[in-house]
Amino acid sequence: MAEKILLPTERLDYSAIASRPKLPLPDGARLAIWVIVNVEEWDPTQPMPRTVITPPAGGAPMPDIPNWAWHEYGNRVGFWRMIEAFDEHRIRAVLAVNGSAIGRYEPIARAALERGWEFIGHGFTQKNIQKVGDERDDIRKTTAAIRAFTGKNPRGWLGPGLTETWETPDLLVEEGYEYVCDWVLDDQPLLLNTRTKPIVSIPYTQECNDVAMMLIQHHKAAEHYDRAVDQFEQLYRDADPGHPALMGRPGDQPASWRW
Amino acid sequence: MIPRERCAYSAIVDRPPLALPNRARVVVWTIVNLEFWDISRPMARQVLPAPTGQVLLPDVPNWAWHEYGMRVGVWRFFDLFGRLAIRPTLSVNARVCEEYERVAGAARDAGWEFMGHAWEQMPIHQVQDQAAMIGQSLDVLERFAGTRPVGWLGPGLTETEDTPDLLASAGVKYIGDWVYDDEPTEIRTAHGPLVTLPYTVELNDIPMMLVQHHESGYFTQRCIDSFDRLYGEGTERAKIMAIAIHPYISGQPHRIKYLEAVYDHVNRYAGVLHWNGVEILDWYLSAKGGV
Repeated sequence: MAEKILLPTERLDYSAIASRPKLPLPDGARLAIWVIVNVEEWDPTQPMPRTVITPPAGGAPMPDIPNWAWHEYGNRVGFWRMIEAFDEHRIRAVLAVNGSAIGRYEPIARAALERGWEFIGHGFTQKNIQKVGDERDDIRKTTAAIRAFTGKNPRGWLGPGLTETWETPDLLVEEGYEYVCDWVLDDQPLLLNTRTKPIVSIPYTQECNDVAMMLIQHHKAAEHYDRAVDQFEQLYRDADPGHPALMGRPGDQPASWRW
Repeated sequence: MIPRERCAYSAIVDRPPLALPNRARVVVWTIVNLEFWDISRPMARQVLPAPTGQVLLPDVPNWAWHEYGMRVGVWRFFDLFGRLAIRPTLSVNARVCEEYERVAGAARDAGWEFMGHAWEQMPIHQVQDQAAMIGQSLDVLERFAGTRPVGWLGPGLTETEDTPDLLASAGVKYIGDWVYDDEPTEIRTAHGPLVTLPYTVELNDIPMMLVQHHESGYFTQRCIDSFDRLYGEGTERAKIMAIAIHPYISGQPHRIKYLEAVYDHVNRYAGVLHWNGVEILDWYLSAKGGV
C-alpha cells in the first residue's frame, strides 16, 4: 500500500469554530463528558514509557524494575479505585486498551466488559506506533484481541501516546475503524480524509490528561480537579443552547450528566 | 528472570484480605535513607547543575548539599522520631557505617532496623560483582548493628534481572524495590520465595522534590491524602503506608515541619501502627498463614 502521503493539511481544511453550523445534542443537552481509562502493558525488557524515579547519577539502566513496578501498581490496585468511582456515578467509561493487556490483565478487561464499557484499540503494546515495524499488523492484532474478548470489533482507536505515522488514519479506516482520538485539534468531532473514505476524529485531550499533567508538568494532584472544573465551566458556557461542545475528561469529579 | 516470571498479575480485589492485630487499619512504615556519595564520581542527585549543564568533577556543591543531610538534617529526624518513639527502617549504604559512624551509631542505639541498601550510592547495574557487594554490605551491617539485616532496597530501587536471586541466596527475606502493590507479596527466586514490602516512589522526597519539583508543603498534603484514603480502605483489608525520606531533602529547615505535620495527622487516629520493615515482615508471614 505504498501510496501518496497525506499531510495533515490534506486530511482537513482549516475551520474556525465560530464559522461552523451548530451541532445539537439530544434533549437540549449542552455537553458530553467522555471518560477514557487507559490500560497498558509495559514490556519489562524495554525502556519504560514513563518514569517516576531516575537512577542515581542518571542514565537509563535496564532492566528498569522500579518504574515497571510503579506502573504495575495501577493495574493491581489503582484501577480498582477508579472503577468504584465510576460505578458510584454510573458512568460507563471507554477502555483504551493495549491488545496484549486484555489477556495479561484479564480481570480488568472482564470488569470493563461486565459494565458495558466501550473498548477501543490503543496499540498492541505500549510502544510508539512509529516503532512497531508493521503497523497494519499491530492494528489487526489489537482488533482481533478486542473482538475475541468482547465479541465485537472496536470502532475507535487511540494511538499509544497518541502517536501516528503518516499512514495511520488510512490504515485505521481500511481495518474497519470509524473514529480516531489522536487529533486533539478541536472541541467537536470532525472528518479526516483518508486515501479511501473519511474517518471521524473525536476530541480526546492532552489538557485534562493525567500523563501530561502529573508526569510532565508535575502538578499537584488537586490541579487535576481544578483544571477539569475550569474546563467544564468554560465549555458549559460556550455551549449555550445551540452551541454544544464535546469534552474529553479522564478525571474524577462527580459528573452531573446523564450518561 | 523478568518480572512476569517471578510473579503473575493479581488484582487486589480478587485476594482474601489480610488483617492487622487488634483491628488496626494502617501500618505507617517510615524509611530513612542514608547514603554515601563518592566525590570522585558524578553525584547521585543534583540540586544545582553547573553553568551550561557541564558535568564537573569534582562536583563540590552537590556533594556538600548531600553532606548537609549527614551533618545537620539527620539530627532533625532523630529528634522527631525520638519524640514520637518511632523506630524507622534505616535504608543504609553499608559504607555509611565506616564514613559516618556517628550517624549510623545513633540509629543503632535508638533501635532502628537496619536494611541493606548496597555498599554505596550508584546504580546496581554498574556494580562489577553484585554477589560480593551484597555479601560485603550485609556483613558490615551485621558487624555494626549486631544483627544481620533481613531487608534490602536497591540504590534508587535499581535491580538487574538476577538481583532477587542473589539477595535470596544471601539470606535476605524482603525487598522494597517492587512498588507494585499495597500489600506484601511473594516473588519467585532461584533460592525460594522473597517477600516484597510496599515501599514507595509516591510518598518519597526524591521523586517529589528532586524530580517533580513540588513545593515543600505539598509533602504533607500528599501524605495526608494518601493516609485518609488508606485509612478508609483499612476497614476492609490491612493497609501499609510507606514514607521514604532523605536527610539532605526532608531534613532541610524549610521542609522538616511538613514531615512533622504528617505524623501529627496520622497520630490523631486510632488503629495506626508505626512498624518497621522486619515488623511488617513478621506480621505478614504469620497473617498469610491465616488466610
